[in-house]
Amino acid sequence: MAKSILFVISRPPYKSENPKLAITHAMACFVADMHIDEEVEPVVAFVGDGVLNCIKNQRSQEFYGIISTEQHIKNQLASDMRMLVCKEDLYRLDIKPERLINARDMGADIDLNVVGFNEVQKEMERCDQMMWF
Amino acid sequence: MRLGVFVSDCQKNDSMLERLNGEGLGIFFVENGVYHAVIHENGRDSGVLQKKGVNYYALASDIQTRGFTTSEIDSRVNVVTYEDVVDLMMNDYEKLIWL
Repeated sequence: MAKSILFVISRPPYKSENPKLAITHAMACFVADMHIDEEVEPVVAFVGDGVLNCIKNQRSQEFYGIISTEQHIKNQLASDMRMLVCKEDLYRLDIKPERLINARDMGADIDLNVVGFNEVQKEMERCDQMMWF
Repeated sequence: MRLGVFVSDCQKNDSMLERLNGEGLGIFFVENGVYHAVIHENGRDSGVLQKKGVNYYALASDIQTRGFTTSEIDSRVNVVTYEDVVDLMMNDYEKLIWL
């Protein structure tokens, strides 16, 4: 049975590397099972101000010279990673669903999954390990 | 005194700003501080924008990096470049602090 790891991102992007680290850690899970001989299922959840990571059209490459958090999220979606976004926080910050990142241009079959915090809470209970960023 | 205040977090730090005298105050939204100029939390403008007699500035590159356009910025806020910020620091403000 796969070991489930939940990465919870609660901070906005760019001022610290923290949210991007969470995403790259989650991405690394896809290869971790080769080394620990156990299947690993990563899930990422954006809560609180962390939902600000999910806004599309980020231009960090142009202004900061770094790959955007958006590109990282798109890579995850294209890899079929489950990514949850807290509905209440989107509402609180007045971020409409059409502003959210998707990776359809990369052929992704799934989008960011907007869910109530109760669903995030259930994921916290279900997972084997949780990491909070 | 003409005081320039850099705000680089989107979390509420209104209480300190509330205590600062608004006259001659310049508030620079940089890094995650730019969310104050574009986000309407619970349908309301940021409390930081409520001070009277304040000049507000937001760094364009920090806004655009985060997926917003400069046209979405609150009308009270002046959109500025790095060069503008340097000019303002050198010419318009006697003291600068970072909240």
